[in-house]
Amino acid sequence: MSDAAKPLLRLTGLLLPLLVLCALPFYLESYWLRIGLFSMAAAIGAVGLSLLSGTAGQLSMGHAFFLAVGAYGYVWFSGDPGLGLPPVVAMVLAVLLAGAAGGVFSPVAGRVKGMYLGIATLALVFVGHHLMLTMDGVTGGFNGRSVEPMEIGGLVLDSGHDDLAVLGVPFGAEERLWYFGLALLAFTWFTARGLLRGRPGRALVALRDSETAASVMGVPVARYRSSAFVVSSMYAGLAGVLIALSFRRVVPDYFGLVLSIDYLAMIVIGGLGSVGGAVAGAFFVTALPLVMAKYADQLPLVAAPGSADGSLGPTEASRYLYGAAIVVILLWAPDGLHGLVRRLRLRLRREPSPPPPEPGLAEPVNPAPTTLPAVPVKEHTP
Amino acid sequence: MTGLLDTLLAGLALGAVYALVALGFVIIFKASHVMNFAHGSMLLLGGYLTAVLHEHLGFAAALAVGVLATAALAGAVDRVLLQRLPQDPKAAHVATIVTIGIDILLVTDLARRIGGDLLSLGDPWGDKVRTLGPVTVPDSRLAAVAVSALVIGAVFALFRYSRWGLSLRCAAEDTEAAALQGVRLGRTRMLAWCLAGALAALAAVFLAAFPATGLERTTGQIALKAFPAAILGGLASPVGALAGSLVIGLTEAFVITYQSDLHVLGDGLSDVAPYVVMILVLLVRPNGLFGAKGAVRV
Amino acid sequence: MNATPRAHRRATRITVAAALSALLVAGCSSKAEDPKGEEGAGGVKGGPGVTDTTIRIGSLTDLTGPYATLGESITNAQKMWADEVNAQGGICDRKIEITVKDHGYDVQKAVAAYSEVAPDSVALSQVIGSPVVAALVDDIGKDQILTYPQAWSASLLGIDPVQVTGTTYDVDMIAGVDFLTSAKGIEKGDTIGHVYFEGDYGANALEGSKWAAEKAGLEIVEQKIKPTDQDLSAQVAALQKAGVKAILISAGPVQTASLVGVAASRGLQVPVVSNIPGYSPQLMASEAAPALEGMLHMISAAPAVNAEIPGVKDMVAKYQKAYPKAPVDTGVLSGYNTALLLGLALEKACDNGSLAREDVVKAHRQLADADTGLGTPQDFSDVERPASVENYVLKPSKDALGGAEIVEEAAVAPGVEEYLKEKGRS
Repeated sequence: MSDAAKPLLRLTGLLLPLLVLCALPFYLESYWLRIGLFSMAAAIGAVGLSLLSGTAGQLSMGHAFFLAVGAYGYVWFSGDPGLGLPPVVAMVLAVLLAGAAGGVFSPVAGRVKGMYLGIATLALVFVGHHLMLTMDGVTGGFNGRSVEPMEIGGLVLDSGHDDLAVLGVPFGAEERLWYFGLALLAFTWFTARGLLRGRPGRALVALRDSETAASVMGVPVARYRSSAFVVSSMYAGLAGVLIALSFRRVVPDYFGLVLSIDYLAMIVIGGLGSVGGAVAGAFFVTALPLVMAKYADQLPLVAAPGSADGSLGPTEASRYLYGAAIVVILLWAPDGLHGLVRRLRLRLRREPSPPPPEPGLAEPVNPAPTTLPAVPVKEHTP
Repeated sequence: MTGLLDTLLAGLALGAVYALVALGFVIIFKASHVMNFAHGSMLLLGGYLTAVLHEHLGFAAALAVGVLATAALAGAVDRVLLQRLPQDPKAAHVATIVTIGIDILLVTDLARRIGGDLLSLGDPWGDKVRTLGPVTVPDSRLAAVAVSALVIGAVFALFRYSRWGLSLRCAAEDTEAAALQGVRLGRTRMLAWCLAGALAALAAVFLAAFPATGLERTTGQIALKAFPAAILGGLASPVGALAGSLVIGLTEAFVITYQSDLHVLGDGLSDVAPYVVMILVLLVRPNGLFGAKGAVRV
Repeated sequence: MNATPRAHRRATRITVAAALSALLVAGCSSKAEDPKGEEGAGGVKGGPGVTDTTIRIGSLTDLTGPYATLGESITNAQKMWADEVNAQGGICDRKIEITVKDHGYDVQKAVAAYSEVAPDSVALSQVIGSPVVAALVDDIGKDQILTYPQAWSASLLGIDPVQVTGTTYDVDMIAGVDFLTSAKGIEKGDTIGHVYFEGDYGANALEGSKWAAEKAGLEIVEQKIKPTDQDLSAQVAALQKAGVKAILISAGPVQTASLVGVAASRGLQVPVVSNIPGYSPQLMASEAAPALEGMLHMISAAPAVNAEIPGVKDMVAKYQKAYPKAPVDTGVLSGYNTALLLGLALEKACDNGSLAREDVVKAHRQLADADTGLGTPQDFSDVERPASVENYVLKPSKDALGGAEIVEEAAVAPGVEEYLKEKGRS
């Protein structure tokens, strides 16, 4: 294979998955599409959190709050009671609102570090939940609010408005939203990579590795830290909008502590500081438990739900598997799925033929975080 | 006045129980830089074992088994699983997420065993109360305050005077230097986890005892309330954990008592108030009340 | 790019081929098929979840979360009903199949489970969890799928395909206040406390208690709590400070027990009245049992499990035979009753000639006097009005099956009709 063909193969490698993704709504039932949508939304949010935690070294457990701001922001800007703006405008405003909420919190985010910030942001989740229940004029209180469907160029991304069918396949809400979700995810993917590879990304990595060194090199520490928080909140807001659209109704109880912890799990399982890793982690955490719960009753010893007392139900079986998966994956690959894939790729390249020197292509950014060795330390005997 | 005293005592009792949990968090964090999300399920395990065994062994023996078993499990989690991970404090988030996985496993299993039951732990205090001057206090709460004070005192003594305590403090200060001085890091760390596990199991008794109704599958969630307590005081400071817990307990009790006066802010503030207090403290002291400033040398 | 022409061509070819094949295969996707036929066996029109031989019913329950006990009781009871019906030939010559999905009280899982179950179900025989119901309400309305939520908030009234069975929380609390004034000597000018969960349940209950208290000239002191609050000492202290003569509670069993236990230990010997979700027979095994037996009463739309009602006795006997180890509680009664009501709706729809979802909802709304023999009859014809306004008063009892016995037979509390009229619900 000639070196020159590689970029093209890479292009094909990019296009092929994209094509598969675009073809999925033609085959999958709405159940699968909905899981896919949840995962895409989670992926967008996780990329945001990954920017913050993986790159800037800031831990946030308040991500659920910013998702809620995005979701409720969209509902209020587009709905009634609310401003009743066109959905696209409402979406942009919701993202900005989430960013502003992050900005309001930045005095804390700029000062407090590490685990402390993690727990401090936990406060946002509880305060947010309280606000969602109390401000019922805006949020609809405990029962939440219906979500206005997205509308782009006259096409309403919801079922029941027209009988759109593509190639004989009826296109309902999930099918239409699927492409919208893909577009948002692609937007997130490219903007986040742009940020990471550019000047801000390098500054944030320097900040993570050593704050002192970074400030000596002229990185305005507090400003970068606060703006990382704001940008991450904006991605969370975008994720919130997509969640709202795919739920079709937002309720406060969804945006709880568990959701925040899930996001943390996503980025660590995916591998900190990598966009691809965050996306993979999001699919792992969001889709895996749902899929496992669906198929767990095929396993031996697992009974259908509600069949007899004392037996192992599919939800429990899937919880066991999910918990074990987290432990096993991280023990095996402390640098997450991203690190795992990278090591596999290196090994594959090495084994069949000695790798040609390829300076331009070998993993341009995201140098392995210096703190995580590429090969897991098997036994650390002090 | 009676009301004020009442509230004060209720807050102190609540704070004493939180302190047992928060101290566990802090010890683990100090030793391994890990935020232990499995703390709640360890608490549940200790409580569950005590509840199941007390009819056969009596309360004291059952509690001893519960405490030891939980300590052993916590130690094993650290030694067998977490110590396999890179030991750099900057990579502690990986271990933190592993504890989420462990929490899921433990909670799923215990919830399956407990089902919808409300388990009594067979504690000796029952629903007895004592009248102290103008206020009434349940015996179990007095016991909680006494036991917490004793245990926390013992833990401080351990920290200060035992070899292990010295090792732990050395390791927390500078891991490499400690290792070079002959501190057995792995063992020191594991013992810290054991101690935290034991404290959690002990806390379970007081969380399930009288003013509460018993142990149920969600009892472990209380551990969440110890998060702000631990942070408020300073994550690396045991004294801070104690102070933080008392602040949180008192805040909660006062907000409940004066709920009707705080109506403007919406009802049900008692769960939010601890976090608001925490944020305010962190704004002034980013490392908590008793956290070290941590001077940066270039 | 300076790619060799050959490699360039190959890459392009792969891409184009992939694109074409994807689109081609998409054309013959199974999703492109037409929905199921119109007229089915016996000249009855079909619809989603209905074939010539089966009627499929969905069930979104909680078997692993905080309401696992309730979920298990309801699920067992409804499975038992399905087996009985099938043994007698089914409904409309079709077998009943219940698809149970456990969401563990997780909204996202429940939303996913709904899109898995709903496309192939004619009705949902149970949906547990207020946040879950709230999140699904729009979809249920759009899909016209007859749904019986296991939540009794008045905010769920007025939605055509959603049916709350029995009374709503507010009506219960009006009956509760009436019980306090008529049987427990609470008088005009007295202060009573109301401890309630945040959210729909508590809010709706409070609406009822406030209305009734105003009519009776009582003052209400509120205490809002969360499901994670398990020690109610501070709340009781605050109520005692306010000098309450009685306490209403709309929370969970654990909270009720703590409230009553603490009140008793502090010498606050006042009557306590709870909504039925605030009690469970498991409490009779706790230390608070004597205090509960002495102070607590529950308001319930359903009779106690040990009631001398032929239908109830019959059902309990069958249930104990089918599930010898499971406790018999109000969940069993409620689940079985709901299943019977769904059966009535399906039979009616069959007689009307269509098992399509919207026609099942229509048939259900024609049931103006649905009596399953398990307590009070229900009227589903007015979508705005609770299906029943009659309440029993129960009290805890250690020896009784199901842990409770009837104190006052079913009756409509005075003022309920006036309340409903004021709220525009009748």
